[in-house]
Amino acid sequence: MKYTKELVSTLIIIIVTFLIAAVLIIVAKYDPGMALQSFFYGIFGSLHGFAEIMVRATPLILAGLGVSVAFSTGFFNIGAEGQLYMGAIAITCVGVFLPPMPAMLHIAIAIIAGFLLGGIWAVIPGFLKAKYGVSEIITTIMFNYIAINIVGILVRTVLKNTESALPYSPVMPKSLSFSLLLYPTRLHGGFILAIVSAVLIYIIMKKTTIGYELRVIGFNKRAGTCSGISVYKNIVLASLISGGLAGLAGVSEIAGVHHRLLEGISPGYGYIAIIVALMGRNHPLGVIISAIGLSALQVGANSMQRQAGIPTSITSVLMGVIVLLALSKNIMFSGLLKKMRIK
Amino acid sequence: MPDLQMKDIFKEFPGVIANDNVSLTVEKGEIHALLGENGAGKTTLMNILYGIYTKDSGIITWKGEEVSFKSPRDAIESGIGMVHQHFMLVPTLSVAQNITLGLKNKGYPFYNKKKVIKEIAELSKKYGLLVDPDELISRLSVGARQRVEILKSLYRNAELLILDEPTAVLTPQETDNFFTILKKLKNEGHSVIIITHRIPEVMKITDKVTILKDGKNVATVNTSETNENELSNYMIGRSLKTFPTRKKTNVSEEYGLVLEQVGFNNKKSKKLTDISFKVKKGEIFGIAGVDGNGQKELAEVISGISKINSGTILIAGKNITKASFKTRKKAGLAYITDDRHNEGLVLDMDVSENMILKDYDQEPFSKNCIINYNVVRKETEQRIKDYNIKTPGIKTPIRLLSGGNQQKAIIARELAAGPSVVLACQPTRGLDIGATEFVRQTLIDKRNENLCILLISADLEEIVSICDRIAVIFEGRIVGIINNGADLNLNKIGLMMAGHSGETVNS
Ligand SMILES: Nc1ncnc2c1ncn2[C@@H]1O[C@H](COP(=O)(O)OP(=O)(O)OP(=O)(O)O)[C@@H](O)[C@H]1O
Ligand SMILES: [Mg+2]
Repeated sequence: MKYTKELVSTLIIIIVTFLIAAVLIIVAKYDPGMALQSFFYGIFGSLHGFAEIMVRATPLILAGLGVSVAFSTGFFNIGAEGQLYMGAIAITCVGVFLPPMPAMLHIAIAIIAGFLLGGIWAVIPGFLKAKYGVSEIITTIMFNYIAINIVGILVRTVLKNTESALPYSPVMPKSLSFSLLLYPTRLHGGFILAIVSAVLIYIIMKKTTIGYELRVIGFNKRAGTCSGISVYKNIVLASLISGGLAGLAGVSEIAGVHHRLLEGISPGYGYIAIIVALMGRNHPLGVIISAIGLSALQVGANSMQRQAGIPTSITSVLMGVIVLLALSKNIMFSGLLKKMRIK
Repeated sequence: MPDLQMKDIFKEFPGVIANDNVSLTVEKGEIHALLGENGAGKTTLMNILYGIYTKDSGIITWKGEEVSFKSPRDAIESGIGMVHQHFMLVPTLSVAQNITLGLKNKGYPFYNKKKVIKEIAELSKKYGLLVDPDELISRLSVGARQRVEILKSLYRNAELLILDEPTAVLTPQETDNFFTILKKLKNEGHSVIIITHRIPEVMKITDKVTILKDGKNVATVNTSETNENELSNYMIGRSLKTFPTRKKTNVSEEYGLVLEQVGFNNKKSKKLTDISFKVKKGEIFGIAGVDGNGQKELAEVISGISKINSGTILIAGKNITKASFKTRKKAGLAYITDDRHNEGLVLDMDVSENMILKDYDQEPFSKNCIINYNVVRKETEQRIKDYNIKTPGIKTPIRLLSGGNQQKAIIARELAAGPSVVLACQPTRGLDIGATEFVRQTLIDKRNENLCILLISADLEEIVSICDRIAVIFEGRIVGIINNGADLNLNKIGLMMAGHSGETVNS
């Protein structure tokens, strides 16, 4: 019942998105048939396409999980982008400043450091909100700019590769690379990290008292207070977990894709993560599905650009459409669903 | 030609048929009571009329025309107003803003504050519904919020007023006052549908009664041709019990709850001054008083939601003045709040999750942070059975339960935890007569099991019927403590509630 409703409205969203895409393509005088073909070829046409989708989905899943934990607790973390960059800084520091060591240990330290630094980046706004009621929407956005600029400074100063003129950090040691899962594609161990994180978050949110407290505070702060559940503690905790997961996205991008710190490692993953969390209804499985869906959209669009010459900016438009539809689907489709007698 | 005719209304929710071919007819200028147990489908029927739900089948005629309101806005425009069981006010807006919310007055979108406030003041004076139009809703007591809701409908010129359990939150005086309003409305040709669980009120104020049971019509009778016993028979299939004997069994000499010169002062709420009383184990101690005289603050300082500025509080002999909510709970305190939607329940969580709201971190419900949902499910099922909570299942969001069943869930949760001190605020508000009887009896049984019970209630009849001693609170002070016995002087309590100090009789 509930699931058919979800399924039908998701289908409607997909169909409407395709129609709008078709209109845009036709208006811009491209060949829609060619577009459609290249879009699907990009996604299903090769192993490479499939792997590319998972590679892009990895940071989206991690950061999307983070955003979803924050949203479920009523903490509107818009700062996953900045937290991701902080995670990237953390792993780079681990690679640059720590002595050589076995890969397992090295990666473990990097993961912990990335989680903590990303977490701290969210805990500061969390603390400001819990203690002084400062709007986290504003502070987390501001923290994005700060983090991005810190990266800019670091890759030109302390973390700069002295052997090169470009603002890059040195290449990370081999022991700090995720292994490839599906050679010769780029699919790397970060994807496993993302799936494991999703399972853990599911368990924490649904099966433990920690998640129970977080959800109570997310739904009704007053009832929490009246049951002895601390609003303060839980908002700080939610922001820590949330920022930590976004930080892991940064760790995974460095260890799996870029292997060194540079500016612009994220094409807005932290922002798309918000869409991922909203569409995934803050449920880990939903987050995974919507992350894969959105990265498929991007991979398909890239292929459209390559083969049919259609600009990828169309994906930004479509993503906006999807968000609007996803957010308003209950209101917009309820009449339609009722007519179709789906309860 | 009747003003309103609802015929064969059918409404099914997943798992329940809330209205099973229900019919209701209301004449112009009639006060019509809708009576029935918790979950009988009264609110659903009214929500259908008011355009909140759509009926699956059936016909509604209003003033001779068939109607089917798509939204409350439609209903309001046609002259139907509704005051909900759970208020629908915006806490961060003022009284005046709430009353005019969504209205397009002359000069819209500019807001003629002076005129609006004058109109509200006139209305509230005319009907005796006292509120300060400038006050924020969040600062009002539950009783005052109710008055705002009624004013809101009157301000919109409702011809038919639907009142869902309006008197549950009013004091006896306010209720009398409110009945005068209803009579005035009736004389001016308005019709009223009133949902209530209080049979004496039905007898006193209404012209006709329709009784529902399990979503079906049981009977419709003229009030003048029926009596309390017959109504109760229709409703619960038996007559009302004469109230259980309160006779003391074994009052111990130990104190369960002690307040010594408690003072509480905080800009946002009522001040408490020098509150001292001791409640023994095996005793029900009542706090009577007009709503908004510090009852809420008293409950919150005892439960630990607010911290006091001076004085001492002991629970079961332990000084818990500075202790947290959870420490107090561990010391044996159970707290039944009077605001079930905002404080007692997490409406978006399901029945079983709400059942562990206070114990989720205790064994057997969880161990090492892992919640054992098997145990939770079994315990929830047991409580649903013990307390006769009507719900389609334990995974149903508690938001979808009827008001009375939500209240039962709270009481089940609080009493099942094995407390030694029970702090009960308006525990029977919104419960049907059967359930009210059940809760009062449970409180008495718990007292006989040597629990210490503090009952805070604006319902004087409730206080008198089950309390051993009664304290009266006025303006944040205890004006007197009286033994409840055969020689109880209700007049004196009434006077004390209005602020006259009685000589304190300590036992
Ligand atoms: N939106 C809903 N979805 C599912 N079930 C619902 C919904 N609203 C009400 N119900 C169910 O319908 C039945 C009737 O509920 P209703 O609120 O009409 O009862 P009521 O007579 O007003 O009871 P009370 O005196 O306790 O307020 C209940 O079993 C309730 O759980
Ligand atoms: Mg109801």
